[in-house]
Amino acid sequence: MSDAWVEDLLRPLAPQVLGAVVRRYGHFDTAEEAVQEALLAAATQWPRDGVPDNPRGWLITVAARRLTDLLRSEQARRRREDAVATWTLPEQWLAPAADARVAGRASDADDTLILLFMCCHPALSAASQIALTLRAVGGLTTAEVARAFLVPEATMARRIGRAKQRIKDSGVPFAMPAAAERAERLGAVLHVLYLIFNEGYASTSGPSLQRTELAAEAIRLARLVHRLLPSDGEVTGLLALTLLTDARRLARTGPDGELVPMAEQDRSRWNAQAIAEGVALITSALGSGPAGPYQLQAAIAAVHDEAASAEATDWPQIMALYELLMRISDNPMVRLNHAVAVAMVHGARVGLELLEKLSTDDRLAEDHRLHAVRGHLLEMAGDHPAACAAYQAAADRTRSLPQQRYLNARAARLTVDR
Amino acid sequence: MKYMILTYASQQDYDGMAGKATGKPAWSAQDFAAMGEFMVAFNKELEESGELVETRGLAAPVHTRRIAGLINGLPVVTDGPYAETQEVLAGYWIVECQSFDRATEIAARLAKCPVPDLVAADAYADVRPIAESGADLDV
Repeated sequence: MSDAWVEDLLRPLAPQVLGAVVRRYGHFDTAEEAVQEALLAAATQWPRDGVPDNPRGWLITVAARRLTDLLRSEQARRRREDAVATWTLPEQWLAPAADARVAGRASDADDTLILLFMCCHPALSAASQIALTLRAVGGLTTAEVARAFLVPEATMARRIGRAKQRIKDSGVPFAMPAAAERAERLGAVLHVLYLIFNEGYASTSGPSLQRTELAAEAIRLARLVHRLLPSDGEVTGLLALTLLTDARRLARTGPDGELVPMAEQDRSRWNAQAIAEGVALITSALGSGPAGPYQLQAAIAAVHDEAASAEATDWPQIMALYELLMRISDNPMVRLNHAVAVAMVHGARVGLELLEKLSTDDRLAEDHRLHAVRGHLLEMAGDHPAACAAYQAAADRTRSLPQQRYLNARAARLTVDR
Repeated sequence: MKYMILTYASQQDYDGMAGKATGKPAWSAQDFAAMGEFMVAFNKELEESGELVETRGLAAPVHTRRIAGLINGLPVVTDGPYAETQEVLAGYWIVECQSFDRATEIAARLAKCPVPDLVAADAYADVRPIAESGADLDV
């Protein structure tokens, strides 16, 4: 899509249109194809002929017409091959949960949420959930999704195709998940948005440190879910977390694209508006019930963002928040961050002792982050030869070029000092 | 007394109406507009006479799900069960009027609907009395 304004107009409409078409005609997989073609048609026609009076209606009409065409050739082909498309109704259609029979008109908001739940269906791998969410809900083309994940377009097309087939095979009806499983399914949705954000913010591979479009897309989708479920604390927490983290984006890379650690960042380059919004969101969420992991992570990000300088950081509070987080969502990354906070409060040696315990965890032993943190703490403790070795060990274990450059530079600096 | 007037079309007829010749001729924009105009006037007249209960047109036959296997309790769904030349229900009117003959008169006026010649040659409508109660179905 070339014209940015058309894209801005189309992207929020994409899930509404897909929702309307699937709700009316079914065929999630084929309808998704038809909607993409309608979006492409709009992207070429609207800049030339003008935007129709009712853009959403236009897209639905074009997509429905295209769906008819696609189904027609699909059915004709099947008939030629003498294969009939039959499927057995899943049990959930025969005995739907009582709360699934909701009367009244479904809104566009419901449709978008249902699509998110479908795309993040537990039958799919995380990679497929992410790809499908970006295409079906985010309105990105396969080429754009492929570019964001640095894989060939054909690979991404196959991944999305398989994901749609699995959704179809799973027989999930176009409806909200039953109340009993809704919290768990929403957790999967938030996790996918979190992964998209992280992929954009801290790219796991490739030459560029930040793939900002992915982070921006994750924030846009988190905003959308927050608008649909404004009273859910974890949704608010995730939106706050992404805003508060992304606020530091500009300061995070130096003039040559190198990574700048938070302690050395120019805080005047932090996005004050995003910080204010994130802080307001997390403050409202924390006041309204037990805090989940996204809220706690957002609270930690807020403490960092509110510190006028690295020295002014309220580390005891960050340490306390990590301790809370460890209690509800214990994982090695949380423990690693906790160790950093402990080192800042009680000294590098205490932090290093915690790291020793962590390095026996197989999930973390080969992770570059463990070695990078060890390097920093050893440097803080004044043990430069060991710090240098740790930085080099970290550099060997990351695929991200900017991170490799950063770690090797830290190691080199210590060697020169010596 | 209530009657149902039923009209039929194949997927190929729908294709033609959508402007694509796949076995039947493609309708021109004027053809399509003329039919629309006729139907609006036809329905309006029925409404004004108080005889129209409801009228609907159905989406193209490819958008059909057939649910079979109802008897042994294992429903099996077939997407698009019709061959593209098969004539299937395309639209209906439910009218409430004096007699079967009056309903027939109403249905016969559909013959005046302007459609391309080749389509007109095959077109037909059925009129069927609607059972008002279980007793009507007793034989």
